[in-house]
Amino acid sequence: MHSSKTAASRRQRFDEIVGVFHRDMYRYAAWLSRDKTIAEDVVQEALLRAWKSLESLRDDAAAKPWLLTIVRRENARYFERKRLETVDIDNLTASQAALLAEEPDDELDDMRQAIYELDDDYREPLVLQVLMGFSTNEIGEQMGLKQGAVLTRLHRARAKLKEQMVTA
Amino acid sequence: MNCEQYREAISGDPSFDGGAGHLGECSSCQAYRLEMKALDERILRALSLNVPELNMPELPEIETSNVVSLSSRRRFSPPAWFAMAATVVVAALIGIRFVGVDNRTLAEEVLAHLDGEPHALVVTDVEISDERFRSVVPARLASMDRSAGLITYAQSCEINGRDVPHLVIQGERGPVTILLMPEEKIPSALPLDGDTVHGVILPVGSGSIAIIGVREERLDLIEERVLKSVTWST
Repeated sequence: MHSSKTAASRRQRFDEIVGVFHRDMYRYAAWLSRDKTIAEDVVQEALLRAWKSLESLRDDAAAKPWLLTIVRRENARYFERKRLETVDIDNLTASQAALLAEEPDDELDDMRQAIYELDDDYREPLVLQVLMGFSTNEIGEQMGLKQGAVLTRLHRARAKLKEQMVTA
Repeated sequence: MNCEQYREAISGDPSFDGGAGHLGECSSCQAYRLEMKALDERILRALSLNVPELNMPELPEIETSNVVSLSSRRRFSPPAWFAMAATVVVAALIGIRFVGVDNRTLAEEVLAHLDGEPHALVVTDVEISDERFRSVVPARLASMDRSAGLITYAQSCEINGRDVPHLVIQGERGPVTILLMPEEKIPSALPLDGDTVHGVILPVGSGSIAIIGVREERLDLIEERVLKSVTWST
């Protein structure tokens, strides 16, 4: 009886956390992999891992970085497993191209394309800062970088995007 | 602060609120700040992809009787090796390499599993109960005496599609993961070598045993004790 109650409570806790953050998980995975199908696979694997290791989340207030860390590892594992090559932006698969063609909005498409073409090193901190609301310290923790390196990457990312938008 | 410094700061973090003195005097940087804010709004819109409906995977049952509640977890003042132990999870994924070329899949499975169970690395001196131990290491699988060390964690886990006992014993320098895999036969020992962790998958009869700990841990001593303590049932 006690065990089933504990299991139900555990499941409820998990559902609540995932309910709040699954959008962030998907978007982070999508911008890491630059592929919608892979993002969905990565999120599925990440959810399983999160479920199995829920006890390691000591404070639900830290659920977002915890989940995103799992997504990051799952994405790395996915690419390691599949031995995928770097995305060739001139020959996108349908799933990759779908990421860039969400809405018929030229200005948005140009920006999305520019972000898509950013190096991983620049794109990831940008996603974490602008979309996930992470501080530069938190980004440093997530990516294993010093704050100065994070700031430099963000500065360069914006400079590149600005330049791209001017020429687009 | 000059223009260059201010612009570098604001383009690294548009919420940067320093340099008020400079900003108050420099209309060019005021315009630059607005430009950065507008750029960020466009970036945010572009990043905000449509999200498909949540498709929850089938979640396996978790043995909740083994879950240690936070309040009952023993708090330690972190000894020197604790930080290293805490990095095992990351190191297992990004820092470790396979010294052998065979059985890469098994090694990957083992490391992926380690990565997915960070709660197995809880530092504690609370031994698991005999009942718990017997339920995770049933007689049909193996007999194991508890002489290998202080066993503080036991969970039946899936490796290569088979349920195997995952044990943690407290070593001299941190938690040591032991995976008993009676059906994973390997031809020779498979060393694992990482930045902060090391380990080995040892062939044992018709199966194998994985032993992984922090780099400073003398695993050879633990290996010897574990090998002496385990006998496969089949």
